Amino acid sequence: MPVPEDYSERKVELCGWPVHIVTYRLGSTYRTTIDNTDPGAWVVKAEGKTKEEAEAKALKEAQTLLEKVKRSKPPTGCTSVPGF
Amino acid sequence: MPLQATAVEQGVLVSTEWVAQHLKDTSIRLVEVDVDTKAYQEGHIPNAMGWAWDTQLCDTLRRDIIPKGKFENLLGQSGITPSTPVILYGDNNNWFAAWAFWQLKVYGHRDVRLMNGGRKKWIAEGRELSMETPPVTPAPYTAKEPDLSIRAFLPEVMKTSKDRTVQLVDVRSPQEFTGEILAPPGLPETCQRGGHIPGAKNIPWGKACNEDGTFKSAEELRSLYQTSGITGNQPVIAYCRIGERSSHTWFVLKYLLGFKDVRNYDGSWTEYGNLVAAPIEKP
Repeated sequence: MPVPEDYSERKVELCGWPVHIVTYRLGSTYRTTIDNTDPGAWVVKAEGKTKEEAEAKALKEAQTLLEKVKRSKPPTGCTSVPGF
Repeated sequence: MPLQATAVEQGVLVSTEWVAQHLKDTSIRLVEVDVDTKAYQEGHIPNAMGWAWDTQLCDTLRRDIIPKGKFENLLGQSGITPSTPVILYGDNNNWFAAWAFWQLKVYGHRDVRLMNGGRKKWIAEGRELSMETPPVTPAPYTAKEPDLSIRAFLPEVMKTSKDRTVQLVDVRSPQEFTGEILAPPGLPETCQRGGHIPGAKNIPWGKACNEDGTFKSAEELRSLYQTSGITGNQPVIAYCRIGERSSHTWFVLKYLLGFKDVRNYDGSWTEYGNLVAAPIEKP
């Protein structure tokens, strides 16, 4: 039965958001998952023959997603004001 | 007393090591429940079943938790009887495993436990992964009537937001709480307004976890919530965006800190933040 090997994890900032990159190898395939560390929702995952390939694919997709996140204008203190 | 010791005594938390020692124990049932519903097929703990939160742990017609009949069928088809210990684990530090835990408790399953650290810790420790779905002998399962004392609905949330008789804990990220964003980065925006329910305290769920995904010690957890005035002396309702992160906090408050009256508001912000004319706080 296969076991995960070469496990690594690190935090970086991507598009202004902290993200958490986890990569491991299962058999001959490297798997990368990138989530946003807070709140920690799953964002993207990718596979590759090398760690670099898997992480590059995942980072590219994560960047595409995170670039779309809308931030609201500065808080107004009012009630029921649209977020954007 | 260290958290692990307390939680193990209460029978709600097991370690990855304990699971590794019980992989061939046919008296228990391991179940993986992930945010990423494809993760199970990519390798799971040997002999674990996989449940999909978005199709198997909810009502797929109306927005609701899994109906009783469907719940009985799911557990029965998973070879679980009312006396089977069910060990749950999943990705994102057990988000949806905690959601499943909460639903099993709603329907009165006696012995439910979380694997501390979840899928991430199992993989980080280099433990075996299987691609095989384990053979299962279906079992008869009759659930209890739903225990609604652990579930909060909108009317009581609205009421307590006004009279403050129950403490509201918003476990989303600070950016969601303040309304800076409408959903966690990378996830679809499923509400019309940003902000939080008036009176809620923001204690993000992740603050209850260590870097390796395990729960913090009881002392650290107690201090975390006490800092915001959440001591267990008053009833508590936890909420997030769709109810899974708040299941995680519900588990912490009810089982790791022993609060007597804790409810999960699974309607959460995707219900409240879409209401017409509901009061919203946006600091």
